[in-house]
Amino acid sequence: MTSIAETASTLAGAASLNALLTPLSEVTASLTEQAARAPAGPLAGMPVAVKDNICTLEYTTSCGSRILEGYRSPFEATAITRLKAAGALIAGKTNCDEFAMGSSTEHSAFGRTMHPTDPSRVPGGSSGGSAALVAAGAVPAALGSETGGSVRQPASFCGIVGIKPTYGRVSRYGLVAFGSSLDQIGVCGRTVSDAARVLAAISGRDPMDSTCEDRDPFQLPAPPENLQGFVIGIPKEYFPPDLDPGVRRACERVIRLLKDLGAAVRDVSLPHTAYAIPTYYIIAPAEASSNLARYDGVRYGPRFNGVPDVRALYQSTRGKGFGAEVRRRILVGTYVLSAGYYDAYYRRAQRMRALIAQDFRNVFDRGVDLLFTPSTPTPAFKAGEKTGDPVAMYLADIFTVTANLAGIPGLTLPIGRVDGLPIGGQLLAPAFLEDEMLEAAFTLERAVPGTDEV
Amino acid sequence: MSVTRQEVERIARLAELHVDDAALPVLTEQMSRILDYVSQIAAVPGTETVQPFTPGPAALRYRIDDVRPVPLALTPAQLAPAFRDGFFLVPRLGAFDATAGDGGDTE
Repeated sequence: MTSIAETASTLAGAASLNALLTPLSEVTASLTEQAARAPAGPLAGMPVAVKDNICTLEYTTSCGSRILEGYRSPFEATAITRLKAAGALIAGKTNCDEFAMGSSTEHSAFGRTMHPTDPSRVPGGSSGGSAALVAAGAVPAALGSETGGSVRQPASFCGIVGIKPTYGRVSRYGLVAFGSSLDQIGVCGRTVSDAARVLAAISGRDPMDSTCEDRDPFQLPAPPENLQGFVIGIPKEYFPPDLDPGVRRACERVIRLLKDLGAAVRDVSLPHTAYAIPTYYIIAPAEASSNLARYDGVRYGPRFNGVPDVRALYQSTRGKGFGAEVRRRILVGTYVLSAGYYDAYYRRAQRMRALIAQDFRNVFDRGVDLLFTPSTPTPAFKAGEKTGDPVAMYLADIFTVTANLAGIPGLTLPIGRVDGLPIGGQLLAPAFLEDEMLEAAFTLERAVPGTDEV
Repeated sequence: MSVTRQEVERIARLAELHVDDAALPVLTEQMSRILDYVSQIAAVPGTETVQPFTPGPAALRYRIDDVRPVPLALTPAQLAPAFRDGFFLVPRLGAFDATAGDGGDTE
């Protein structure tokens, strides 16, 4: 349990990161109110910050966007209700790329979030505010959301643990939709245990989300002594020749440790990996263009008046309310769904997605329990380095996006540093086998010197 | 270029999205690069017979179809220009034709 004064102090200490969107005075007042009626539970007194695209009753939900600035949801996400039922306190809303579209938290209407180690660099994204706050020690855990790696990539950049659960493990009710067949709420944590405890609290069936599987809440596994009996695959496509040398060194050290811990390590292949980013950047914008059609200045947020008719009102509100990256993705999504292009882009991408998912099934069906890969191809990059080149920005997600396309769980944990910047290693598991993934993560966390230079 | 400026303008109209003239050249160039990049999946042979994949439950469960109050952020009285005794007040039928511009009586 953390005292409210202590939480307020640690949040104030991280203010220069621009990771928390809620004013500190509002967070402190809300924490006091929440603490007065919080039940005892497995997360009693744990302050958990929440990404700004997850609906809360306590704070506004703006999705990092002008078009939802000041929006207060009349309901809260199932994940928030469950956190509170477990005794956690909601410690404000965190900055993110607008509508979770981005890999650097530079595409927020409320300014960019700084990397906690080097302010000239990005914390990753889109859940960069959540990852930066946890890495700065302001909160032990924070909720983020994943559509293409938006928890694991910033967690890797910031040197913390990030979990993306199986699609359908956690209810999406109250998570503002971006790509509905890809979106999942995920968790950033200081340690594997912190992140796993929060995941356990928010998981399980929910009648309010028909895509949430009819399963009991996830049970935390006991940390094993070693990895004997585990077969861990190393997919060659995740170790290309141009992989950052520091990332490669850190991963090779982990692979040696996996063997030392008793795991059988096997080289495997996921042959359609190269097509994951193109597939994702057809499917996700297509779903986004549909989901974001509702923001028209009539039903949500501010509107931009002074135009002659309702159509001009829609166009003006959306044109001024959305930022550049969201506008770009809406246009790409509308294009790939439009008559004449649907088959060439969208239908083909849906089939490629099936092949990417089949790659994982093939490997897991041949006796491989888990996969180990780098979480990102490089450490955190400089702010502004990729903002003018959308394709270069998209490639920052190359090792995370496959799990979203296949619907499987993934976890990143710190495995070393290069020039002071954290490097993350990723574990991927078959659908709904988060327990095996966490067993390996607990063991690796103990064995890997996560903050050493490699 | 995969897309022309005119195509971007057409797509923007479909998406109900105003795009400034000054932003169009950069947007056209960036959209072209993105579409050229994602087009590489067309080069993969043998995908025509693959069944599309979507994760999640095989069969969707529907919510119980019961009527519940909608938790609006504002009450109907706060949303309406005029509201009395649980009713929205609107111009009388025909009042628009008879008194164009003055709104007529409300009931």
